[in-house]
Amino acid sequence: MEHDHHKDKTNENKTINKNNTVPFAEDNFTHNIKQLQERKLDRRGFMKTLVGAAGVFAVSTLPWGALAMRELSRDGEKQYAEKEIVKLDDVKVGEAVQFTYPSEHHTALLIRTGEQDVVAYQNACTHLLCPVFWDKGKEKLVCPCHHGFFDVTTGQPTAGPPQRPLPQITLTVKQGTVYATGVKRYET
Amino acid sequence: MKRSYYGVLCLCFVLLLNIFFTQKAIHAFYYQNYDATIIFAILNLVLFPAAVIIYQREKKV
Repeated sequence: MEHDHHKDKTNENKTINKNNTVPFAEDNFTHNIKQLQERKLDRRGFMKTLVGAAGVFAVSTLPWGALAMRELSRDGEKQYAEKEIVKLDDVKVGEAVQFTYPSEHHTALLIRTGEQDVVAYQNACTHLLCPVFWDKGKEKLVCPCHHGFFDVTTGQPTAGPPQRPLPQITLTVKQGTVYATGVKRYET
Repeated sequence: MKRSYYGVLCLCFVLLLNIFFTQKAIHAFYYQNYDATIIFAILNLVLFPAAVIIYQREKKV
């Protein structure tokens, strides 16, 4: 307590000093460090940030690796349930209908391209998952978000940002009704 | 004192590889190349200790 009192007194003396600066009472050489003028990011701080970023990247790829492991550990081909989509007569040539396959969360489009020809794709754009529409006039699948275009017979991207084809749904027609039977794997 | 910026350069390169591997892993996943996804995820994991080692060696030079 007495010590503190003494310190206060020296500080007080310091301000009264003639030149107000010399000599300093403290001996830790911190009097010339101004908190507001410190550099925000020095070399070492920058390196620390980069190491942190490497950690974030490492952790962020873990779920993808885990999902891939799960897919690999599954025996054989992925099984899909057969699902009735629509009666062929209810879709005119050049028209499309929307449905969901394999789950409710995977929207898909069925397009009747000819008298007996039907194709179906999962219609989440392979760029950023916007819904893809069937453009009857252009005879192409169109993603309106960034003007991505897909070929209707193969699902391959023809223009715009998407690089990956739309996942195709395999179909069978039995007695005038179209059924979805599975989602095609990408050929590797 | 003149500082060595070798570590900064190395860590920048590590960051570049991180971005590259992450991108590749996710692309491989959507293309259903699950082996490639796992390889890139592991490469990304290995980069973290590598970055730590580079930092430890370069922080005081």
